[in-house]
Amino acid sequence: MRRIASLLLAASSLVVPAHSPAATRPRYGGTLRVAMRGAPTSLDPLGAPSSDWFGSRNLSRLLFDTLVLLDNNGKPQPALATSWQSEPSNQRWQFSIRRGIAFQDGSALTSDTVAASLRAANPSWKVFSVRDAVVIERDSAAPNLPAELALPRNSIARRDRGKISGTGPFTVAQWNPGKQLFLTAREDYWGGRAFADSVEIEMGKSLRDQAISLDLGRTQVIEVAPEQLHRAGNESTRIEHSEPVELMALAFAHDRQSADDGRIREALALSIDRASLNHVVLQSGGEPSAALLPNWMTGYAFVFPATVDLARARQNIAGLRQTAAWTLGYDANDPGARVVAERIAINARDAGLSLQPTSGNADLRLVRVPLTSPDAYVTLAELTKSLGLPQPKLAANSNSEDDLYAAEIALLRSQRVIPLLHLRTASALQGTVKDWREARDGSWSLPDVWLSPGTAGPEKP
Amino acid sequence: MQSASHLTVYNARNPHMPIAPSRCPRAAASLLLLLLCLPAWAADWRVPEQQLAAKIAAASGPGAVSLQLNNRSSLTRTESDAIRRGLLTELASLGVRVVNADQAAVTVEVSLSQNLQNYVWLAEIHQGANDSSVVMIATPRPETPAAAQELSALNIRKTLLWTQDTRILDAVVVPGNPQHLIVLDADNVTLYKFQDSKWQPEQILALAHQHPWPRDLRGRLLLRKDHLFDAYLPGVYCRSAAATPLMINCYESDDPWPVGIDLLPLDAFFGHTRNFFTGALAPGIGKQTTAPAFYSAAPLPRDKYTLWLFAAVDGQLHLLDGITDQTAGKLGWGNDVTSVHSGCGSGWQVLASGAADNGTDTVRAFEVADREPAAVTAPIDFGGGITALWTEGEGINAIAVARDSETGKYAAYRLSIACGQ
Repeated sequence: MRRIASLLLAASSLVVPAHSPAATRPRYGGTLRVAMRGAPTSLDPLGAPSSDWFGSRNLSRLLFDTLVLLDNNGKPQPALATSWQSEPSNQRWQFSIRRGIAFQDGSALTSDTVAASLRAANPSWKVFSVRDAVVIERDSAAPNLPAELALPRNSIARRDRGKISGTGPFTVAQWNPGKQLFLTAREDYWGGRAFADSVEIEMGKSLRDQAISLDLGRTQVIEVAPEQLHRAGNESTRIEHSEPVELMALAFAHDRQSADDGRIREALALSIDRASLNHVVLQSGGEPSAALLPNWMTGYAFVFPATVDLARARQNIAGLRQTAAWTLGYDANDPGARVVAERIAINARDAGLSLQPTSGNADLRLVRVPLTSPDAYVTLAELTKSLGLPQPKLAANSNSEDDLYAAEIALLRSQRVIPLLHLRTASALQGTVKDWREARDGSWSLPDVWLSPGTAGPEKP
Repeated sequence: MQSASHLTVYNARNPHMPIAPSRCPRAAASLLLLLLCLPAWAADWRVPEQQLAAKIAAASGPGAVSLQLNNRSSLTRTESDAIRRGLLTELASLGVRVVNADQAAVTVEVSLSQNLQNYVWLAEIHQGANDSSVVMIATPRPETPAAAQELSALNIRKTLLWTQDTRILDAVVVPGNPQHLIVLDADNVTLYKFQDSKWQPEQILALAHQHPWPRDLRGRLLLRKDHLFDAYLPGVYCRSAAATPLMINCYESDDPWPVGIDLLPLDAFFGHTRNFFTGALAPGIGKQTTAPAFYSAAPLPRDKYTLWLFAAVDGQLHLLDGITDQTAGKLGWGNDVTSVHSGCGSGWQVLASGAADNGTDTVRAFEVADREPAAVTAPIDFGGGITALWTEGEGINAIAVARDSETGKYAAYRLSIACGQ
């Protein structure tokens, strides 16, 4: 009846096909090691803006919570707020605050601290507490306020004598600004303790250094540039990417000066071969687009023609007495930006336009703007803010694709911006990293990540 | 804050909805279950067709147009063909005739697209060389209907019971007329009644707990004879009332959870801040009162003892018979095992989770003649990760919960072994 285990092993290997990896439950323990390009010098969501918006957003979510989170379908879900309601005008909202939550410094989350945090992030809002709730009053209708509250800048933080504390799933064990951050899991996190015991984040690492670190097994998660997106994973690594969440565009420094200026701007837009730009320069790591917002957010982006039309471009400027000689600025710190700018200059020349790339001040700039929310309305508003464009004009309680389209087309008709591509964010992971669920917007959910046996520590009940 | 009829509100579901008197005799009703679990869904596109046709007609005016339709959405070819026909009908009723392109002054290019929450239908209307306009409507994307019922050719029968956005911890069907379904999730126990060919919510009972739930939350529902059910969650025990209206009382509790079935009982202590059992057993298996820390357990009755299989946290399968603890190394099994008394084959089978080549989880049945597991069915795919696998109370069927890897929704299935098919 009782046979030795070795016999069992041998026999079972004959009758049971090997599945690898098996369906396993998450393991607790271990340290997740992550590398990033960004080198933020502050952990405060309201600190100095970082050039790496996505990295800062992902860091913020490890330490801070927001009242609301957007799920993968862009629908607001409760986080620190358990419920909310608005008046019909959508100007006045009330959010009920979850009870029993503590900041990392041990103090209790109250509606007063929530109100203070939101006031600091949004000086123009009227925010006050009412018992266990927070009331927000806006100057105009804000039908998408819950989605707006999911933005990282609206993270709830307690600021006390230069120290900042959040309610997030991890707490800071060691912080070397711009270089290294060591976090430990909070046992009392309201959303459940993270599976990993700790997270170690190395900052300011070039993509090349990150790739070497991953290959050497020193790092388990690194960033991947869009042009590296299709780099094949191997047995020990895999690549996860978001939907297109970043806009690459040409942004003019000034409004259209005249009708002729408008015709030249249109000619430039028609001359750009976005498909080649994407295919050759970015190794198909993006999606050519003439829309500000990507199709996955709106469903209508494809109606904006993104194909090159040199004949129309030339026709547009035919008969003009003089075509401007513009300078095209690019970020000298972005290694790919110069290549893109030069290719656009060549496209423009084919249409009879003169465009001179420069890393200094310029008539128009090659920009990369993060699309900050899965909510299209919120993203459009944030995008226009980033580009210095007038805020989109929306009906008071508008929340329809029709109105969104009208707002976007009005912004495009201003000819202040020429969309080029939508880019994805991506990460390369070691095979030991499990349940990495890169959301559509590229945000990480590190508390859900666990490390397969061998890298995780012993399980402790 | 003023009250108004058109508030924008997010609120948790309302607990303590009234319950109708319920008589739930626990009789077998498997065949009926196959028919009643499936909410029928058939799309009715008439309203969006009317809306888009009206916008097209307003932009083009009455007369002859050519119409081209492109499907850029997840709608099927059959659905897009039906929508095209519906649009033609609606346009005709508005005085817009669809003709060949060479006979039309106006060209209408309809695209069926989608975003995160809605179908977006657009019409690009071209009149002359440079005169074009875009009109659009949006209509909510319906919930993706899960596969109604999949009958495995290899003898595991999988029947969909319920799907929802939030994680399902366990579910159980209460036989009777009408049948009831109880679903346990992180916040509530929800009772559904089968009525008008679908499960209708009858009562929502909120779960009270003081401590945060751990990630990978687990829980178990068990029907009882003297009251309707017990629910076990990490650090919490909930007991329903015996009489209607149904009430539930939840207590902070470290009491062990039942991991066996009615015929083969065994209790085990659950680590209330983790996702596994500590290994401490009550009362134990023969002389063995502890097992390695484990995720799941499955009993297999033998003539004079019960063999217990434990999917241990160390990644191995441990077999305890009351005296010895043997390990079965790399079987390729996942962390969820349970057993069912199907009456087929040797009478009992172990259901074990595994991984398919496409990365999604499977469940497969095994028999363990001595200590050697042998597969007796093909693995069945769940299109995502298995998050729960429990035997139903009497041990004939099992409940599996899977998270769909595409939609993120959770689905609870009843699994049964079909003999000789």
